[in-house]
Amino acid sequence: MEAYIHHFESFDTLIEEVHDLFDTWESGNKLPFDYDLGVLYMLKLAVHEWIANMVQHAVFSTPSPKVTLKIRKDEDRLFCSISDNSNGFDLAAYYDSLPTSLKVFPERGTGLLILRSCTENLSYTPLEDGTFCLSFLVSANQDPWLSIQF
Amino acid sequence: MSFVLESNADGTTIVHIGKALDFRNAADFKKLCQDQVRNGVRNFILDFSETGILDSTGLGSIFSLYRQVSPLNGQVVFASVSRPVQVVVQLTRTYKVFRQFPSVDAAHKSLA
Repeated sequence: MEAYIHHFESFDTLIEEVHDLFDTWESGNKLPFDYDLGVLYMLKLAVHEWIANMVQHAVFSTPSPKVTLKIRKDEDRLFCSISDNSNGFDLAAYYDSLPTSLKVFPERGTGLLILRSCTENLSYTPLEDGTFCLSFLVSANQDPWLSIQF
Repeated sequence: MSFVLESNADGTTIVHIGKALDFRNAADFKKLCQDQVRNGVRNFILDFSETGILDSTGLGSIFSLYRQVSPLNGQVVFASVSRPVQVVVQLTRTYKVFRQFPSVDAAHKSLA
């Protein structure tokens, strides 16, 4: 199955580059496979929340951060992975540490919850080459829901 | 990524969000709206017609605005919600709090 791979050029313009890519796909220049536009919007939200978290919080020991995005079709779903050479963190432990309910009208701290809510099979694991890799699936069959108290 | 404001004599402000309301400009949005509330504005129409991303931080800044105006009998409503923004609205069920209108005019008529 053909995959789309993008190596980001600069950490300083990472989020702008992400949106330039999605703008291109939304405006008709397709990925190398068919997909539902609704799934693409879900993918964009998930990728944005992860990259936003990385830009704001990730720690890099190297002076040259590297980030790579891969997308491929998996039946009616899109599989996505985002690898980086940051110091990483334990995403599963982060989720485990969260309170069971969010504050009423939360102003911060919902980015990774949104990411988890709109994806399936989410994981962030170290790879043999020393980098870390986030991977997940998004599908048209999902009815994602993040419970926020109003 | 600046916002365009339209203030009306009836105390309603229309905020044309533009391409994004996210971690890059949410603080600007919050400050802008705080200034408006300080100047007596109670009702806000957020125009999402051109918006490609509303993220968790952007949504948090809207929650902040809502918390300011709702005790003052003010309202925050959404207009011309684009599909990428609709994904977030559905995911977070915020349609329960923020009424949605197909256009800014329709929202304005409803608040008049």
